[in-house]
Amino acid sequence: MSGNTSVTRVDVSSVAQAQRVPVHFLPCEIEHNGPAQVSEYLTTTTKDCKLEKTVSFRGRGLKGQELSCPQGYTGLVLKETNKPSSDHEDRTLRVSSVFDKLTYWNLETPPNSDDTVVMAMDWPELAEAIHGPVED
Amino acid sequence: MDLSRFETDNSVSCRLVSEIPDVCRTEDCCLGIDEAGRGPVLGPMVYGICFCPVSKKQALKDSKVADSKTLTEAERENLFQKLDEARSYVGWALQVLSPNTISTSMLQRTKYNLNALSHDTAIGLVQYALDSGVQLKEVFVDTVGSAEKYEDKLSKLFPAIDVTVRPKADSLFPIVSAASICAKVARDRIVKGWNFAEDLGDVDTDYGSGYPNDPKTKAWLLKYLDPVFGYPQFVRFSWSTAQTLMDSKGVTVHWDDEDEDGEKAAQRQNNKSMLAYFSAGGNDQNPSRQTHRFFTERRLKSLDTL
Amino acid sequence: MATKKKRTPNVQNNSWVVIAADSSIDSQKHESEPAFVRLRNPSTDATSLYMLSSGDVQLFEVKAFEEDFHSWFVGQTVQRDGRLLFVTPMDPLYLMMPYLIKSGKEGKFQPVDQVVVDEEFPACSRLLRCTRSLASLHHIAEEKEVGKQRFHRYSHEKTMTWLKKKVERAVCVLKARNISVGERVKSRTYIRVKSESDYHDEDYLRYAHGLISEYLSEDLSKALLKHLQLPELTSPKESEPPSKKRKLSDKPVEAEEDYTKFNSADFARKPPKKMTAAQKSLAKADKTGMKTMSSFFSPKAKAEKK
Repeated sequence: MSGNTSVTRVDVSSVAQAQRVPVHFLPCEIEHNGPAQVSEYLTTTTKDCKLEKTVSFRGRGLKGQELSCPQGYTGLVLKETNKPSSDHEDRTLRVSSVFDKLTYWNLETPPNSDDTVVMAMDWPELAEAIHGPVED
Repeated sequence: MDLSRFETDNSVSCRLVSEIPDVCRTEDCCLGIDEAGRGPVLGPMVYGICFCPVSKKQALKDSKVADSKTLTEAERENLFQKLDEARSYVGWALQVLSPNTISTSMLQRTKYNLNALSHDTAIGLVQYALDSGVQLKEVFVDTVGSAEKYEDKLSKLFPAIDVTVRPKADSLFPIVSAASICAKVARDRIVKGWNFAEDLGDVDTDYGSGYPNDPKTKAWLLKYLDPVFGYPQFVRFSWSTAQTLMDSKGVTVHWDDEDEDGEKAAQRQNNKSMLAYFSAGGNDQNPSRQTHRFFTERRLKSLDTL
Repeated sequence: MATKKKRTPNVQNNSWVVIAADSSIDSQKHESEPAFVRLRNPSTDATSLYMLSSGDVQLFEVKAFEEDFHSWFVGQTVQRDGRLLFVTPMDPLYLMMPYLIKSGKEGKFQPVDQVVVDEEFPACSRLLRCTRSLASLHHIAEEKEVGKQRFHRYSHEKTMTWLKKKVERAVCVLKARNISVGERVKSRTYIRVKSESDYHDEDYLRYAHGLISEYLSEDLSKALLKHLQLPELTSPKESEPPSKKRKLSDKPVEAEEDYTKFNSADFARKPPKKMTAAQKSLAKADKTGMKTMSSFFSPKAKAEKK
């Protein structure tokens, strides 16, 4: 089966140089990969209330909150600078940014514990239960 | 007119009010409603009410308060001055709907159109006057939509008040003209002194009238188009002028409540389900095995490639 | 005001947002760097993505949180791909087990490095380098030492004991995290009469069994259910994931109790021969999907389109 023999290495030495950056999870698909004036437009207009943050993007009202990475976990943004031409070749990723919390935004709905991304954060602890070593 | 309350946060809706003249709490009053800045693609829409005792109608007329549209900005400032001087018997209140409020309302999941927004704002202001003890007997409203329906709606809501809704009411009833002046003066000042919350450096304020067909406005909209964010909150994103420019020069953004052609939507959904089918089972030797709901509820799935 | 915009495929994806266990990127001086590898998924038999830490010390699972219509802002950039990848520690035994079971059918003790080999997935031999692998093999296999060499033979009984502990651990975390495992009221009418708290515990047990089954072959999953003394739920109204219902109901009960078949030669992953009505309709639906897709991609279909 093609591609099963190739591996994708992570250049861990890049972690040291990786920048700690603000990370926002948006409730829309932006057809773009590349620069954006996030701090100029989003950060400056974000309102921080007790229970939620509010902002608007493209004229639509967003409500959000911060979400921390689970204990023992780090947020990484992996980047592939040189993509090989075939899937038989090995690939290399570097860590371009790190984060320990992210801000997730809902379209108009106030953030709550039933939001799927909040629920997804259950996974690391469950994974530990399923995969942690079993005593004899 | 103190606009500072709005200016500290120009992304929300804000009510600005004059003192309530004592006489308005004791004598039968008339009240006029008008709006400013419905059409422009830039800046807030301002709703104004002005009220005075019915007995002072003539005095108001004598002060030559006329339709604000026929006046220059300087004349309007001058007339607002006169209204302010008459504060012993004339009161006003404004509701400033920020462009951000307009955008987010009109683009809401459950659409809140401009007419509904206008009506609710007007109703809110009348209610404010009543709550403040103004003895309302007559209300005159300028309208863009169907006058009859609007008049019906207001009469039902305020059965004790004689409601008159007319197109061009601002040139027919001095109290509506007065409301119109308050609203227009406020909008002009707000637009002129707009404080951009975004970090855009020195912003060119030569944005013209703000009407979509004004070449200056168009040029400004082209200059300040950001490919990802579109525009600062000063712009009404719900206006087709802004939408069209973003569609043609900006990055495409998709939302989950987006209208799609029936056919395309069906096709996409079909594709999606097929993808889900293939990814869930991998090469699908065992189609009966389904991912546990812990994972499906959390939208978690295995990957076979990065 | 959302316009009809076609979604284009994201072909140039070159960045990923990941939440990774700190140990996965531990950069201690080992000869090899952490790497994403493809291995055989023990539940589906298909290709899945895993990760080995530096020096193959630890195994990790890769799961993607994926919901439609999402993107990221990372610092001053946009990442269109709105997935959030989780890299979580994984017990290598789950991946080694199918290989041991297969060789165990011969009933001989074998050196494990001759057992955990897979032409299709060459990286699987790296699993043996994980610190935990050899140290925990005794949970699922009998061990013999002859001279310096160690030999293993799969043990179904040991495996069941080990998996039961896994289930119990999962139950603890499910309870501690207050994860909703509650089955709908309806299902309870099909279970033998028990006290309220027993229902509750059974729900947890069932849920945890479902979670662990994500890493087990279908037969092993069924055997574990028996081992946990969980009664089979046969009602179609039952609210376990539909796959489980189907799995449970498509074979006669006696076959379920025959544990020996796991060591017998004819043990192989085969699709169930008999299909329930639900399965039939599922298979039918899936085929339709595949047909559409294949015709969509085949040059013939294109030619027909003109």
